[in-house]
Amino acid sequence: MKLTVNSTPRDVDAGRSPTLLSALRDQLALTGSKLVCDRGECGACTVRLDGDLVYACLTLTAACENAQVQTVEGLATGHELHPLQQAFITHDAAQCGFCTPGQLVAAAALLERTPHPSDDEIRSAMSGNLCRCGTYPKIVTAIRAVADAGGAAK
Amino acid sequence: MTERRARFVQTTVEVEGRTETRVVEMPAFEPAPWTADTPLSIVGTSPARVDAFEKVTGRARYTADIVRPGMLYAVIVRSPIAKGTLTAIDLDAARTLPGVRAVMGPGDAPALTRLFRREIGYAGQTLAAVAADSLDAATRAARIIAQSLVFDVAPHAVTVDDAIAPDAPKVRSTGNTVEPDIVERGDVARGLADADVSITREYRTPVALHSALEPHGAVCEWNGDHLTVWESTQGIFRVRADVAKALSMPQGKVRVLKDYMGGGFGAKNGAGAHTYTAALFSQKLGLPVRCMNDREAEQTDSGNRPATLQRVTIAARRDGTLTALVLDAHIPLGISGWEGGPGQIYHELYACPNVRTSETCVYINASGMQAFRGPGYVEGAFGLESAMNALARELQMDPVALRRKNLATRDQRGDRPFSGNRLDECYIEGMKRFGWSSIIRPPSSAIGCVKRGVGVAAQTWPTGGGPPSYALVRINSDASVDVLAGPQDLGTGARTILAQIAAEGLGAKFDTVRAIIGDTERLPYTGNSWGSMTTPSVGPAVRMAAEDARAQLLEAASQLLEVPVEELTTSNSVIHDLSRSRALSFSDLCKQLGNLQIVGRGSRGPNPPGVAIVTVGAQFAEVEVDVDTGVVRVLRIVAVHDAGRIINPALAESQLHGGIIQGVGYALFEERQIDRARGVPLNTNLHDYRIPTMADIPAIDASFLPGADPIANHTGARGIAEPPIIPTAPAIAAAVADALGVEVREIPLTPWRVLGALVQ
Repeated sequence: MKLTVNSTPRDVDAGRSPTLLSALRDQLALTGSKLVCDRGECGACTVRLDGDLVYACLTLTAACENAQVQTVEGLATGHELHPLQQAFITHDAAQCGFCTPGQLVAAAALLERTPHPSDDEIRSAMSGNLCRCGTYPKIVTAIRAVADAGGAAK
Repeated sequence: MTERRARFVQTTVEVEGRTETRVVEMPAFEPAPWTADTPLSIVGTSPARVDAFEKVTGRARYTADIVRPGMLYAVIVRSPIAKGTLTAIDLDAARTLPGVRAVMGPGDAPALTRLFRREIGYAGQTLAAVAADSLDAATRAARIIAQSLVFDVAPHAVTVDDAIAPDAPKVRSTGNTVEPDIVERGDVARGLADADVSITREYRTPVALHSALEPHGAVCEWNGDHLTVWESTQGIFRVRADVAKALSMPQGKVRVLKDYMGGGFGAKNGAGAHTYTAALFSQKLGLPVRCMNDREAEQTDSGNRPATLQRVTIAARRDGTLTALVLDAHIPLGISGWEGGPGQIYHELYACPNVRTSETCVYINASGMQAFRGPGYVEGAFGLESAMNALARELQMDPVALRRKNLATRDQRGDRPFSGNRLDECYIEGMKRFGWSSIIRPPSSAIGCVKRGVGVAAQTWPTGGGPPSYALVRINSDASVDVLAGPQDLGTGARTILAQIAAEGLGAKFDTVRAIIGDTERLPYTGNSWGSMTTPSVGPAVRMAAEDARAQLLEAASQLLEVPVEELTTSNSVIHDLSRSRALSFSDLCKQLGNLQIVGRGSRGPNPPGVAIVTVGAQFAEVEVDVDTGVVRVLRIVAVHDAGRIINPALAESQLHGGIIQGVGYALFEERQIDRARGVPLNTNLHDYRIPTMADIPAIDASFLPGADPIANHTGARGIAEPPIIPTAPAIAAAVADALGVEVREIPLTPWRVLGALVQ
């Protein structure tokens, strides 16, 4: 079955990986997206499917034929980090880092949709992505910094 | 150079609030302490986390991301009942399923692993396991086995009341309660008699689950008689010791690796069922095996903070001087656990001559407890600090003034001074930042059904760390520097701050130094990353190793520059004399040395005798309570703590945020529910066991007092990770009591508990 992942055409076996998360992690070795709750509660597997944010653990691989998928591995352009990735580094917005890939993908989608979100809009849009280390205040700061610098547009 | 002295001596160290006596090795030399006035250029600054790039690009490899050639997947079958005997299990049907490679059940694992026993003591206990070509195949086979289980079900006890009832079922053959641990000083009866005011309250705290996003897990691979374990752990050397012992093999044949880790919070301190399952399957099949908990297993059987019931009596004179503190606590530990209760903070936080604590641990048919960030002190602070706030209301006294009147100026339990304790400054700075003194409370009807309130609470926590810890600093032929030490970075930033300490001690540029950690085979020993110990334990060893390497560099440079070694120093990766007229860069020196390698060696010396080493702090909360719905919203938290020197302020602030946010969860949402009739946990996922989301977070102003603690150790730094969670819940509960005019004495402060308190 064909789909495009991070702008590269890929072939996956939907029979071997019923969920998109398994296809990404187990067949394509894209292990940035994490398996945490396996039922759409935590956001650690957040990816974009034809631009929309989805939980990859709840997305059927078979439903992704010919779709465009973007994961955290596709945020940077070559060696150049996405502004949000740089801001997460600068503002210490990753502690253990396990939720970070999902947070970054969700934040990138937020800023494309709403380039200048209020802090309440950030908190609301990001509240589907859990972090147990409590990095939330610095994630808000990092997103805010990118929005204020107008660096969201790709 | 140095006079000869005893190399091995006895000392005391404090781990998770417990004091232990150990033999330690005296270091060959101790560098002069970095005091508050020592000019430092790298320690005390905030370079970005050295591993941030890997984390933001998704390249950081956690245990579940490890793939080995031919790797199999293991899934564990767990008990659906709380107590009884497994009388029948069919493993053969699973064996024949496609993709299944091996199955284990009762009798198939060494006793020390405690795997797959027929006698069941709690729901979630391991009964069997499957290894298969894919996770799906293993999961399907595990379901088939689960359907075959037959039990002789026995009565269980999952509450304190059920476990201490006269006809209670035997949770453990040795009895359901442990003899109360009573600690008393002074004369409590006299203290109560001398009081003008005395109040008694009963407080309850819930079972809280660590809920690290990365579950427990391991990848195990045998190569001949040699086992490699990739494990998500806070203690690689402890996992190695556990595995070697359980599988009867020498430690030298077990290698434990941990690179990245998705949180621990106290639950990942040794090998577990997942480790042994993966190791045994791998041994049997000759292939690597990965065994990760799924979320249900993680929330069911990977440790918890036990609940407490605390009856507190607190007595004082009219002016607020405490005369007696009495605690009678019951702690349902689960099926197992160490007996660390809420009592210690009652002895330590306030000056009070008469204190008596009684802790009764009770075994129940539920998964065993594990240390969870600030174990004992978090639970105890809720009881003690809530009682202090109630006393302040009784005395009509400002709760901060009451606390400042009863400051502990000495460690009363050990009758010794503190290495440093600036709690009073924390109160003063906190009040200033919060605007505490200027607050005039609006009448509570002012905002309709939404009431506002403010509250305060404080903490103490032993953070001295201690030996043993070893480190090496190796200078490569291009002058790049490797720090070799065996701790693990749970997400705290240990990798970064150890590199900072080494760079400072060596006089090297920060970006030339990297810390290599998390490998038992190739790195010197350090202890578990628990008890807020890594910075004060490993930091001094790393500094000493760097100073040792620096002395060797200077010696070499002295020969080459023909300048006496006493006249040379280092900074910014350059060796120069004091007038800076003669200089030699590290890289030029290393070029001349070729492959002669400079290796500095460091170890952690014993703690100073006769002092208590603690981190203290105060937190202030403001809340909004909707009295129609019972919903509590935390608006802001101001936190000021004193932990001596802060190595990296940005990372330290992240630790404060993390503790406070977990404290918000403990105060408002987090509570494991067990069905009393069936004995099974009900909320074993991240929807029903609710941790804070970004939408729940208050405005947080969190800081440390500037300074250093050169008495604690020669880096001047104490531990910081656990203290910030300790006072958050009682500060929030105090604010809710302030808003409502009544106390809610059980956390979490769910809407129904808030409404319940209002109708009483």
